[in-house]
Amino acid sequence: MGLSVTADGGRKTPWRDGSFGYVVPALLLIAFFFIVPVIMLLMRSVLEPTPGLQNYRELLGSTTYLRVLLNTFTVAGLVTIVSVLIGFPIAWLLAIMPERWSRLVLAIIVLSMWTNLLARTYAWMVLLQRTGVVNKVLLSLGIIDKPLALVNNLVGVSIGMTYIMLPFIILPLIGVLKSIDPAILRAAALCGANKRQCFTRVLLPLSLPGIASGALMVFVMSLGYYVTPALLGGTSNMMLAELVAQFVQSLVNWGMGGAAALVLLLVTLVLYTIQLKFVNPNRAR
Amino acid sequence: MTQSFLSIRGIRKTYGQVTAVKNVTMDVAEGEFMTFLGPSGSGKSTTLYILAGFQDPTDGDILLKGQSLLSTPSHKRNIGMVFQRYTLFPHLTVGENVAFPLRVRRVGQAEITDRVKKALKLVRLEGLEERKPALMSGGQQQRVALARALVYNPPVLLMDEPLSALDKKLREEIQFEIRRIHQETGVTILYVTHDQEEALRLSDRIAVFSQGEIDQIGTGRELYADPATHFVAGFIGDSNFINAEVLSNTDGNARLLLPGGTVVDGVPMHAGKAGGTSASLLLRPERLSLSSTRIDNGLTVTIKDITFLGNNIEVSTQTGNGEILSVRLPFGHEAISGISRGDQAWLSFEPKSTHAFV
Ligand SMILES: Nc1ncnc2c1ncn2[C@@H]1O[C@H](COP(=O)(O)OP(=O)(O)O)[C@@H](O)[C@H]1O
Ligand SMILES: [Mg+2]
Repeated sequence: MGLSVTADGGRKTPWRDGSFGYVVPALLLIAFFFIVPVIMLLMRSVLEPTPGLQNYRELLGSTTYLRVLLNTFTVAGLVTIVSVLIGFPIAWLLAIMPERWSRLVLAIIVLSMWTNLLARTYAWMVLLQRTGVVNKVLLSLGIIDKPLALVNNLVGVSIGMTYIMLPFIILPLIGVLKSIDPAILRAAALCGANKRQCFTRVLLPLSLPGIASGALMVFVMSLGYYVTPALLGGTSNMMLAELVAQFVQSLVNWGMGGAAALVLLLVTLVLYTIQLKFVNPNRAR
Repeated sequence: MTQSFLSIRGIRKTYGQVTAVKNVTMDVAEGEFMTFLGPSGSGKSTTLYILAGFQDPTDGDILLKGQSLLSTPSHKRNIGMVFQRYTLFPHLTVGENVAFPLRVRRVGQAEITDRVKKALKLVRLEGLEERKPALMSGGQQQRVALARALVYNPPVLLMDEPLSALDKKLREEIQFEIRRIHQETGVTILYVTHDQEEALRLSDRIAVFSQGEIDQIGTGRELYADPATHFVAGFIGDSNFINAEVLSNTDGNARLLLPGGTVVDGVPMHAGKAGGTSASLLLRPERLSLSSTRIDNGLTVTIKDITFLGNNIEVSTQTGNGEILSVRLPFGHEAISGISRGDQAWLSFEPKSTHAFV
């Protein structure tokens, strides 16, 4: 690779030793096939049907569209919180498990990530529908007396997306948790900290940078997620990505579609900046 | 019998097929500095971890002031510990690290501030409360760890090779500090090391560990002067061993036949083995005399090497059947003047200063 190491151990920045040339084709590719179309879409949001900001006025002024924004943030927030709550203990178990077991479980997690997204989402549809396994089990256990509506609404979307997002929180957290020396937790215990105090005062603060960056990644990915909301969600409760798709595909309204896409992009960029500023892993210790 | 302060009774610990600790029994007096000395893998840390409650023994019991500790979880044992690795909480300042044991005990803020200050003063780090551990040297971090382990006045302090990551000079400096702190606080210390010099410098008594068992417990002097086993003799102080044949052994006084025909009488030997068996004879390098003229009943050797070591001189010699014996002479010793490499010389020793082991 183009990176070289100087005598004092410091890395040369790639453009100084001339290796910048290697990345030019990739940059051109991104510019032509990603940045240019995005800019064109954004241009259309202020040019169509007539030049001006009326698309944005309509998007942010109408309760229907604000409702979509609210849905998007609620679902993304919920998915993030639940993913962290479920993902943390799983990551902890994987981090302290004997290596050969944790490798097996990790392989299963990664394999599930490689399985076709549509297949996995349809599987959830089957599980969650009125006559699905989940409702059947709950009914037969007497916990509920009529089937719960678990698909075609935001509940289904949240469940399906949490499942999809879990690996994105578990995988980085395992690394962070493994880097915590078990002797530090032993020291805490001998200092008099009970299990709960070891967790809240030592383990949690030490893994916070990992949790924060994992959570932000999940949140940002959830904001723009399309497939799962489209399949498991209902037509009445849309999320932002679905709205963009609807504007462009069904309504052929490129102006509104572009405006909705820009809102999504802006939120994502703001969150990304926050991540760079506050959850820089180098500042963690 | 009076009840001892800390009593370790027949501790055994196995991990599947591996026996980490075979049988460890000892009594430690209040305020004593007891060191576990032994090579890596001899079960020192495992014994300490059982005391700390990180591991349960397969067998045996631990009593503190007559009460068994085994059913008490780590966080309620009120024992202090300094680890081999740096275990300060990296997200907390030095002051908060030392305050940690007091915070989890819900001590009031005013008292915490006061006691943290005193603890840091004890380890000579006063005024560094706001520093983050990552910005401190290894030696400083271990001092903070010591302050954190002592701030709640534990009856027992465990230390598992706390200085092994430090360089020699710093190590000696902190050894001195640990001695001072032991004297100032009077805390009972169980200290693990594989470094005999460190053990001799610090301890009231030393327990020599070998393969999960204690070979001998005693003061440094006792271990040096009267080692119970070949292993202890080899581990404490410098040593030479030569093979010998036991001609007779009565009341711990053996008569030995050395290679080359020398016979020595009155060698201390523990186990009462009958004549005819072979034994190994401990000869301390500093207890051997060297002469360039024939000595009756001395060991005939060839000079292999002479090394100047500052205040003394080490002479490496070889016996007729190839065993290497090192001799340490004070600088300026007259015997050395006429001798050079390849010469023949004679070694003699006081039988009482040696030891024979089966
Ligand atoms: N968790 C464990 N699992 C299996 N074997 C262990 C474990 N801990 C220690 N041992 C074994 O027990 C023996 C004693 O280890 P230890 O007490 O750490 O020795 P020391 O501290 O004297 O170097 C070693 O052979 C080690 O391999
Ligand atoms: Mg050890």
